[in-house]
Amino acid sequence: MRMRSKFIAAGVFLVAFLILVLGAGNPSSLRSLQSGFLGFLTPFLRSGSALERKFSAFREGLKKLEDLEDESVALRVANRELSATNQTLRGMEAENNRLRKALGYRGRAEFKLVPAQIIGRDISTWFNQVVIDRGSEDGVRRDMPVLTEEGLVGKTTLVSEHSSVVILISDENCKVAASVENSREQGILRGDRASSGSAPLVSLFFLSKQAGLKVGQKVLTSGVGGVYPSGILIGVVQDFRVRELDGAATLVPAVDLTGLQDLFIVVSDPR
Amino acid sequence: MFFCTLIAALFLSLVAQHFFGAVPPWGARVFLMPIIFLYGALSFSTAGMLFLAFLTGVMWDLLHAQWIDDATELGVGWSVLVYAVLGALMSGMRPLFLRKRWEVHCLFSGVATSVLVLLEYLMISLRREPLHFDFSGVIWGRIVGAGVVALVLAPFAFFSLSYLAGLLGHQHYRPEKEENQI
Repeated sequence: MRMRSKFIAAGVFLVAFLILVLGAGNPSSLRSLQSGFLGFLTPFLRSGSALERKFSAFREGLKKLEDLEDESVALRVANRELSATNQTLRGMEAENNRLRKALGYRGRAEFKLVPAQIIGRDISTWFNQVVIDRGSEDGVRRDMPVLTEEGLVGKTTLVSEHSSVVILISDENCKVAASVENSREQGILRGDRASSGSAPLVSLFFLSKQAGLKVGQKVLTSGVGGVYPSGILIGVVQDFRVRELDGAATLVPAVDLTGLQDLFIVVSDPR
Repeated sequence: MFFCTLIAALFLSLVAQHFFGAVPPWGARVFLMPIIFLYGALSFSTAGMLFLAFLTGVMWDLLHAQWIDDATELGVGWSVLVYAVLGALMSGMRPLFLRKRWEVHCLFSGVATSVLVLLEYLMISLRREPLHFDFSGVIWGRIVGAGVVALVLAPFAFFSLSYLAGLLGHQHYRPEKEENQI
């Protein structure tokens, strides 16, 4: 009798498993299922994230008042500097558009950025992803670039109504077409599987053997591939090595991916 | 009642895991779901264990399936099979558990967690190009580290869940009791 009930249980399990595997074979239904589950998880992640922030704010509140005042002054100065720079850049962008129009080029629209906060970091050992608090209701779609003022963070992969999963550039599956500043070198950037969580590194492959990149050279998105706009800073070269068929460089990401809290999603492509 | 509570605990542990950082120096992760599942494998019959394995595996795969073009990198459902096998092995050690001898089960929780991480690594290594298996110190540190963390957390989790089971009046599954009833 006991064996019979075990066989029945095993049989039901196998049937359920087969239904799952067959259902998962349809990409659209699997994406919907994933999106639905992420949507179900979102309120819990938001609550947990809010608690985490309150705790961090409490720890920050224990700092001396003087330190906070100094920090406030420094932030105000930085803010004024950034506003001034932004003003100048906007002027240059407008002039650039006028000149492009004069030459018959298509005008560059501004980026439309949606701010977002991280509400969950990936728990898997081998994948580098984060969950953010913006989803389809906010205009976010799959494969939208994600960045901060410092540089590129990654792109959206799974989108639910009110949250999205962002794959970071330190993930091996996140490939970015990149070019090296002040050079004609172009390559494909990819995260490192064994990249340490505390200091993730990324690698740039398919460079020429004679590239001879220098430490500190900046690497930017090249715009090839249609996902990432061109000119976004990815990182700086840490070392260059010649491989059998190509050259490769190790980069330090421009953005601190482990301490990331706030970021922006590019919801309108300037192209 | 305890079965539903355990399902809720599985879900909440999945949420909680998002807020634990990687453990230095190799970046090993804190995994609570396998520990809670394995407790469930001890506490319920085969049918209950298989249901929990299905639920745990599906939740894990749905959240971590990465897409490459129009297909997921690792098929959704692989975790279900692994959890079922680990649950079956754990169920085999039920007699010791019923005698309140948890040492073996806590040790197995650590081993099972490391096996999960190792299997995931082997599968992505097979799937990704170029095909190579990098077993550097960092990789082993993450695989073994996850198991060590689970080994440390398992006694606390088992104790808490046993206390909860007692509060809810749950009797752990005893196969000989079922036979006597027949």
